[in-house]
Amino acid sequence: MSEPTPKTPRHGAPQPPPLRELPWQARINASTLSLVGFIILALASLGVLGGSGRSLDTWGNLTRFIGRFFPPDLSVVDDALAAIGETVQIATMATLFSIVLSLPLAAAGARTLAPRGLVLVVRLMMNAIRTIPSLVWALIAVAIVGANPLAGVIALTFYSMGYLGKFFSDAFESVDLTTERALRASGASRIQSFQYGLWPNVRPLVWSYALWMLEYNIRSAAIIGFVGAGGIGLQLHTYQEYYQWDRFATVLLMILLLVSLLDFVGERVRRQITRKPLGD
Amino acid sequence: MPPNAPSSHLSLNRVGLQRNDRWLFRNLTWRVPRGKVVAVVGSSGAGKSSLLSCLAGHLLPDEGDLSYECRERQRHLPRDYQKRIGMVFQHFALSLNSTIIDNVLCGRLARHPWWKTFLGFPRAEREEAWRLLHDLGLESYAHRRAGEVSGGEQQRTALLRALFQEPDILLADEPVSQLDGYLAGRVLGLLRQQADERGCTVICVLHDPTLVERFADYSLSLNPQDPEGWRVRTVRPVPHE
Repeated sequence: MSEPTPKTPRHGAPQPPPLRELPWQARINASTLSLVGFIILALASLGVLGGSGRSLDTWGNLTRFIGRFFPPDLSVVDDALAAIGETVQIATMATLFSIVLSLPLAAAGARTLAPRGLVLVVRLMMNAIRTIPSLVWALIAVAIVGANPLAGVIALTFYSMGYLGKFFSDAFESVDLTTERALRASGASRIQSFQYGLWPNVRPLVWSYALWMLEYNIRSAAIIGFVGAGGIGLQLHTYQEYYQWDRFATVLLMILLLVSLLDFVGERVRRQITRKPLGD
Repeated sequence: MPPNAPSSHLSLNRVGLQRNDRWLFRNLTWRVPRGKVVAVVGSSGAGKSSLLSCLAGHLLPDEGDLSYECRERQRHLPRDYQKRIGMVFQHFALSLNSTIIDNVLCGRLARHPWWKTFLGFPRAEREEAWRLLHDLGLESYAHRRAGEVSGGEQQRTALLRALFQEPDILLADEPVSQLDGYLAGRVLGLLRQQADERGCTVICVLHDPTLVERFADYSLSLNPQDPEGWRVRTVRPVPHE
């Protein structure tokens, strides 16, 4: 077989100019800069891998501790189920309240809908709320209303508001405003153009984030019980305090089942909700 | 013209518009008679869509003035007249997650206070919208999301939303660009009917010269090479002229 010969330009056809490569400075973008920054940060963080510096029986510690979990004590399943029920209730109420409170907050924090000054104030407020971890919110709520599930609801409501407010704001900003503007131009009021022009496009995103928050809150509600805010975390904390690791393992197992179930169902439901129409 | 026809018409007086430092048209002067169909024609980039945006009040002309006159002989700037202007956008501007019938009903939003439409539209209006959908062969899509139907069906929906508004002036930016010959004829026939029966002035961008000859009373052609080279031509003779 003959070797392939390079194509020669046809007689008279103009030669293309030689390929011009971009200089290296022009190839630097935010992505490469952040990657370099991350590598530098990782190198500077190597010190934390040193541990205590003492020679410990790490493997022995691990096997002894894990060994206390087995076999799990299944006699506490009923109690755990009741506690899981309470956890879901806390998360549901907190998600409901946070949706209701976040929607107006999000509209006020969306650059496409609200004046600049208001956006700045609202975004700062939401950032501040997000900075406080759910456990700290739970401590505050327990201090106010005592150690009961209501404290959990209050804590998670505030915690979720920071997140949902931001997500909803981003959702409002991401949707196309053409329809809303077209309806405004045809004489519809602000509320009408929002309801019929903007809300239908933003609704799937809002609902998807709300479901994600519900999932997240159920996981969080399992933890905030550690500081007395009700739910399965309280039970987990009790078993830990009394070194009942076999019972602790049963509760952990049930949390694992619950979270896996949420992952499985939640992701499918959210994918279905945010399914884009053909015309998008 | 029917006695109860809206008596609005449009006056353009030495109107000029420039985009990106280029004049699209200048010294455009014309009194558009009521209840007529005007086809705006011209090659790509001639400024047809910009002219429609100007007429709708979405863009301010850079020179000259244009105004609408309603039956009380009051002059209105396009911005103050928007409730009476129906607009079919080139890219439809539909709410893709709403149903086709809801999109059509949106044409009537301005007639109701927000609290009356908050839970939906009155039954009578839903039935009226259904009849319009039926007229353009869209009734089987009425409860489907606008994003799930074809471009041609979206285009007809956008047109029906504008018609449902019952405007005095209807501005349509290429209202039949995605339709086959038969449907294009039906849609333009509907616009013709609006002009003849309701006295609605229809101004639409059209590309097909045969459609212009069949449906328009006037054609306004814009020339991208010469901003002052616009030309108004009578397509079908008007009896009182």
